[in-house]
Amino acid sequence: MSVVVTALVTSLSILTAILTVTAWAIWFERKFVARMQSRLGPTMVGPSGLLQPLADLVKLLQKEDIVPEAADRRLFDLAPKLAALCALGAAAVVPFSASIVGAKIDLGVLYLLAIGAVTVLPVFMAGWASNNKFALLGGMRALAQSLSYEVPLVLSAMVPVILGGSMDVSKIVESQIATQWFIIGPVWLGLPAFCLFMLAMLAESNRIPFDIPEAESELVSGVTTEYTGMKFALFYLGEYVHTFVASAAASALFLGGWDGPFAPGMHWMVLKTFALFGFVYWVRWSLLRFRSDQLMRICWYWLVPVSVALLLGAGAWVVL
Amino acid sequence: MLRTLQVERRVDPHLSIDRYDPEAELLLLHFGPQHPATHGVFRMDLYLDGEIVVKCVPYVGYLHRAVEKLCEVLTYSQVTPIVDKNDYVSPMTNEQAINLAFEKLLGLEVPRRARWIRTVFAEMQRIASHLLWLGTFAMDLGGALGGGATVFMHAFRERESIMDLFEEVSGSRFHYNTHTIGGNRHDIPAGWSGRVKQALDVIEARIGEYEAMTLENRIFHERTRGVGVLDGTLALELGITGPNLRASGVDHDLRRDAPFHAYDEITVNVITAEGGDCLARTQVRMGELRESIRIVRAMIDSIPEGPINGGKPIKLVNSIKIPAGQTYVAMETPRGELGTYLIADGSPKAQRLKIRPPSLHALSAMPYILPGGTVSDALAILGSLDPIMGEVDR
Amino acid sequence: MSSKPNLDTTAPFEHPLYKTLEKLPGLSLGTASIDDLLAWGLTNSLWVFPMATSCCGIELMASAASRVDLDRMGTIVRATPRQADVMVVAGTITVKMAPRVLKLWEQMPEPKWCIAMGSCAISGDFYRNLYSVIPGIDTVIPVDVYVPGCPPNPEALMHGLLRLQEKVHAARRGVKVVRDPNPELMAITKPSIPRLCDAERTEELTRAQADDAMRVTEEQTSEPLEVAYAPSTPLPPVFAPDFAGLLRELGVDASSTEGPPIVPLARHYELARRLKDLGYRQYVSVVASHWPAGLGRKGKDDTEPEHYEIAYILRTVGRGSRVATWVVRAAIGEPVPTLFPLFAGADWQEREQYDLVGVRFAGHPDLRRLMMAENYVGHPLRRDFPSDAPAAPWR
Repeated sequence: MSVVVTALVTSLSILTAILTVTAWAIWFERKFVARMQSRLGPTMVGPSGLLQPLADLVKLLQKEDIVPEAADRRLFDLAPKLAALCALGAAAVVPFSASIVGAKIDLGVLYLLAIGAVTVLPVFMAGWASNNKFALLGGMRALAQSLSYEVPLVLSAMVPVILGGSMDVSKIVESQIATQWFIIGPVWLGLPAFCLFMLAMLAESNRIPFDIPEAESELVSGVTTEYTGMKFALFYLGEYVHTFVASAAASALFLGGWDGPFAPGMHWMVLKTFALFGFVYWVRWSLLRFRSDQLMRICWYWLVPVSVALLLGAGAWVVL
Repeated sequence: MLRTLQVERRVDPHLSIDRYDPEAELLLLHFGPQHPATHGVFRMDLYLDGEIVVKCVPYVGYLHRAVEKLCEVLTYSQVTPIVDKNDYVSPMTNEQAINLAFEKLLGLEVPRRARWIRTVFAEMQRIASHLLWLGTFAMDLGGALGGGATVFMHAFRERESIMDLFEEVSGSRFHYNTHTIGGNRHDIPAGWSGRVKQALDVIEARIGEYEAMTLENRIFHERTRGVGVLDGTLALELGITGPNLRASGVDHDLRRDAPFHAYDEITVNVITAEGGDCLARTQVRMGELRESIRIVRAMIDSIPEGPINGGKPIKLVNSIKIPAGQTYVAMETPRGELGTYLIADGSPKAQRLKIRPPSLHALSAMPYILPGGTVSDALAILGSLDPIMGEVDR
Repeated sequence: MSSKPNLDTTAPFEHPLYKTLEKLPGLSLGTASIDDLLAWGLTNSLWVFPMATSCCGIELMASAASRVDLDRMGTIVRATPRQADVMVVAGTITVKMAPRVLKLWEQMPEPKWCIAMGSCAISGDFYRNLYSVIPGIDTVIPVDVYVPGCPPNPEALMHGLLRLQEKVHAARRGVKVVRDPNPELMAITKPSIPRLCDAERTEELTRAQADDAMRVTEEQTSEPLEVAYAPSTPLPPVFAPDFAGLLRELGVDASSTEGPPIVPLARHYELARRLKDLGYRQYVSVVASHWPAGLGRKGKDDTEPEHYEIAYILRTVGRGSRVATWVVRAAIGEPVPTLFPLFAGADWQEREQYDLVGVRFAGHPDLRRLMMAENYVGHPLRRDFPSDAPAAPWR
């Protein structure tokens, strides 16, 4: 019984923490970007605009929920829920410290990648169900892009799995604590694998320079063009949670998780995750975006061969 | 099986879409008139094969404000503030172009000081206009929620400093109404030239930053090189002028080739580029940005003394009657040749006044250079042509 | 999506959420504070849909940029109407654009507000009496805040948004916000069709506008006018160095001081072709003008019948650029040979002149209207066309 209660409390607190953190990550992004653009960002709602995400949420709750007449109603309703669910579900296996982890499962990495891959489904679903040409184009682009970038993502995530000798994320972190962070060693494969993982992650979570499914200047608002109020908020939230969880996964797989030069603990994990999260937004607000065909070319010409080579290298190193 | 709607290597926009491969499943995408990247109210119907644009049918006229009819209803001096609103990114050049036509038919000599001030204003409008273009073009490529927005914000920050300088001259941020028949309405205030130089120093120092985010950026090159190639012959046939023409390798600039204002007294280096693609158009505009800064710097300290208005006193301007006649006068604006064809009949109102907008000609290239590109290219091409819909539709 | 706009601007939109919240035990006492919370959320997150058509759109962009930064008050710009709360109508709305504005307004979810930014959106400004501009956006959609100016400064737009916040708060508290009715001003600024707030506004007009907005906007193609080129007598090849020489060659009288030389219709195409060979490679423009009966180049002239004059302008490229301008005269209804085979730019230019003046160009591949809607009747730039022609149901 106590096991169940513990699990419930842990997962609920992780869920709440992630949602809260994500909400304020949006505030953080807006302030951060504003400074990049020599603006101030939100200042009027609460101290330094800290209550801005709350105001947005309260507003979005009150908006009319429009379902276009020609839309596929069931899919249209399902897609945003699924999007948020997938993003949050992936957080289950990410260990924030040795004890704080939603579900310790042996095939944690596999679960993470599988859930990550499923997130494209609600996106395409939304694009299809909206019966809007811009949304449809966005959905098609998302599908093509996610399927392609899944390959280097999985292959580069396999490098720490091989080096750590386990599919369990916690075990991978522990083996890093025992030896060294995979980004540094034990063999000169971790850094390129990390870079690949980050690149593929940017593409998976539809961030610039790979944000062509959303591409607001081309496709109005991509798949979310027809969504109003809370449904849009769920998509929005799902996107941020996805980026957040992917940053956390990258810190766990490559950056030693909760390990730190002194006083190891959860704060290190949170710090690393936020650093990667900030990096994603730094990139997002500095670069322009690729065209979809260029995106595919980069993936299949460069990322896939390199990730295969890395995987083989890691295998060879372990065997030898 | 016809994979592109072409005739002798040139896209023929009048070929029916039925001539295209009947096996292909085409998607008709209505793009605009209200779309975040159409630079106003421009509409294209894109026939898509996958994401490749097969045929592009543009529609304009969503901002047709009947300016030419209004010019027949109002007296000559009342027309100046109206045409301000045509090319709303560089309003002063509109005023100058239309007053040039009036002055020519009247045979008025504009004082040298007024001509110099007009030249400085025109060049500063070019800087402001190209900055705005840079921001919006980057936003087309990079999205309103991405790196493009950052370029946009930075470009707008610099543009504001020029707006402030013009506000000081005319009292208005935007629509100045500072030119009149025979000269200028407002003289430049004391100490203005010093502030202009300060602003230009800042802008020049920061052009490097913009180039770091655009021209020196690998992604920018990937998105623009070889996209929307416009060859010089077609550009001339279409009547495309200004930076778009010079990017196609045609060495033609009215500032040097048919001087107006005080351009005959200074040297203008004409910036050209080969390639005719979006990258070349960017290079030309960035080069012109530097060149305009150079011209303003060279002129601002040596503006000759004298009157700024050589025509009738301002109070009498309203009753000016232009003798019967017809004339065509053109000047180079940030977008190209802005012409005015004036038919006067001896009364205080024009019989017919046609404004020849460079943007309309630039837009008419869309159906020729877009097919074969993707939806993303459509935005890059549209943005690089720098159309202003107020001028296109008038 | 309903095809009828919500006319009742005073009744606030009631979201089902309010009723649910009021039913919750313990919360009924705090309804006022919940109302405040909801209004706080609404007002501090006003997302803008930029209905930016012209000059004011640039100032709208400037408001979002560094100096004023609407993001300070939580206002961001959304490209899709579905996620926006405030439609900022920035710029002149034309008869061709008005149906689209109404359609986009309909697509916005409740609760929604509209800000009319700039004189054109408020009243049409000095275009208000012209055939193609609607006299203020409040004849089509309800407006909450008017921000005057031409264009208003970014600060003025921010002020407008702050006033809108006050209005929303007041509405949530049950205070009815009514615009101060100034009958004199209302009478002076009376548009050509009644505003939504005017007493004489009829349901029929609203329905007509809604129907027009829902009309399929596909524009039909006109039949091109196929007329064979008028045969011209062949001339021996000449290598005249300039335009004047060529005119002499073609026997055109170039002595007129009131305008460019008038070229016979039959020689017109040939002149253009030979000018192109001479280096006049840049197509500049074509200007058609309508001359009513009794008006000639020298002013009043009773012998002149009603006719068109079409001026053509070509240009050489490079240093010392030269301009060639000539005019052809055509009677009403008489087709003029198109220059499209020589200059691709003639396509749109001739379409525009056909649309606005009414000259028909023979051999043009796609002679449709360019500026006005395809179903528009009349040619606005003819001298006998009234500048304030109505265009139901928009003006």
